[in-house]
Amino acid sequence: MSSIPEDGMRESPDAYGFERLPIDPVESGTNLLVTGPSLGGLRDLLMALLVGAGDEGTILVAADVSAREALDDFADAGGDVDAARVRVIDCASDAGQGPGDHVSCVASPADLTGIGMEFSSLYERLHAGGNERVRTGIYTLAPLLLYVDDVRAVFRFLHTLSGRVRSVGGLGLCAIDPGAQDERTVKSIAQTFDGQIDLRSGRDGCQIRIRGLPNQPDGWQSLDPMAVRD
Amino acid sequence: MPRTDPSIVCVNDDSTARQSTVDAFAGAGIDARPCTTLDQVEDALGRDVSCVVTAATVGDGDAFDVVRLVRETSPDTPVVVFTGDPRALDSLRQSELVVEFASRSLPNARERLVSLVSNAALETYQVAYPVPADEQERIRALREYDVEGSGAVDAFDRLTALIARHFDIDVAFVGLLDEHEERFVACEGANWERLARENSICTHTVLDEEVTVVEDVTEDPRFASNDRLRELDIRSYAGARLTTPEGHAIGALCCVDDEPRSYSESERTDLALFAEEAREQLVLRSRLNGARTETST
Repeated sequence: MSSIPEDGMRESPDAYGFERLPIDPVESGTNLLVTGPSLGGLRDLLMALLVGAGDEGTILVAADVSAREALDDFADAGGDVDAARVRVIDCASDAGQGPGDHVSCVASPADLTGIGMEFSSLYERLHAGGNERVRTGIYTLAPLLLYVDDVRAVFRFLHTLSGRVRSVGGLGLCAIDPGAQDERTVKSIAQTFDGQIDLRSGRDGCQIRIRGLPNQPDGWQSLDPMAVRD
Repeated sequence: MPRTDPSIVCVNDDSTARQSTVDAFAGAGIDARPCTTLDQVEDALGRDVSCVVTAATVGDGDAFDVVRLVRETSPDTPVVVFTGDPRALDSLRQSELVVEFASRSLPNARERLVSLVSNAALETYQVAYPVPADEQERIRALREYDVEGSGAVDAFDRLTALIARHFDIDVAFVGLLDEHEERFVACEGANWERLARENSICTHTVLDEEVTVVEDVTEDPRFASNDRLRELDIRSYAGARLTTPEGHAIGALCCVDDEPRSYSESERTDLALFAEEAREQLVLRSRLNGARTETST
């Protein structure tokens, strides 16, 4: 992608870029909601957004898939699954079933305290290990909304997570399939994020649009079929 | 210079560790109030506190007792658990208590804590509700259009009495959304004064340009677990936001009933018109007060 947006404003040197996607780099500290159909490329899109430069760390919260599936998908998207830089919080498998050093397990997607503890702990360890830039992805928010009794706890969780991302100059990405959720809840949750990336799939393949962020392409943009499988 | 009123509360039953943390904040120009027990924390929360930092154990409880206390008395206040290994708290935790964790065992741990808390103290860091994108400007606008002493309250009292009769509902009110609470400036049919924003439906209403209708609170996932709404007998709700001429939504004009209820298109239009009337009252009274102030000076 171009490093100088069309309006001539030069991006900051610590912006997060996206090699295989029609998205211009976004400022560090940004949190984005990624929406689209679960069966129409949402997971591929999230993984493509999480793949960064070689000096970046990655934390994946696997709420809808196992840690193994998440790591495999991340590798398929072109991510380097070096355990020193990539960590997964597995909310969907039995404790102890994850693939080795990469993975921390919590009891269930409803265990927001546990996910928060692991997230903070992994973030600090990645930082201490020299990874100053970290991309965080949650795939997906659906199990949290399904299993947590009170949606207010999910709001608090998202504010806390996005607050840390903002404070340390990270990049936060949360995926959700709006077609499978209460529309009013998704609308309220979207307010927690700086912007939104929407995915749709049709006869001509997958397209995305970016809303709420400055200096981004207008309207729907076609995706490389190798980046996101329909 | 440290502020006169402490805004960070440091809780730890280890006096040496507690003092080291307080000193770290002092070094960054931030006053911190040391506390050992839950009673001391409760007392401190009666003042203006921007963040609570707690160790895993405190004099008469643990970190999650502190979290519960903060959530009960000052729900928007962020809490950071500052401990060696967060996993040591596993046996104590409750799954829906959301807090931030900072490790005490990493290099420069207190420097990291101070940096984190400086950000955590931002108003919306751990709140349990959606926050409008223009929140800071919205709060500033609210102060400008605030109705205290403007004479708008009498007009709102008349308006809400009229609305309650028009819609045949239990309660009609005008609510203004402060930083942490909704303040009921006129309320026909109930004597509500304030409601925490995490319990307020209006905190969602201000996000929507359209009239917000909740036909049955118990069927809406955003509010189904909200016990406070049940205590107030709020079963159905319709609200239209009040916006300033600059476009900031500072509150809402609302209808509430203790039974499930739908609102027709015509009724929604009526409510929007009533809200427009309330908005004009706010704007005109604010301008009138401004003109009076200029004349008197």
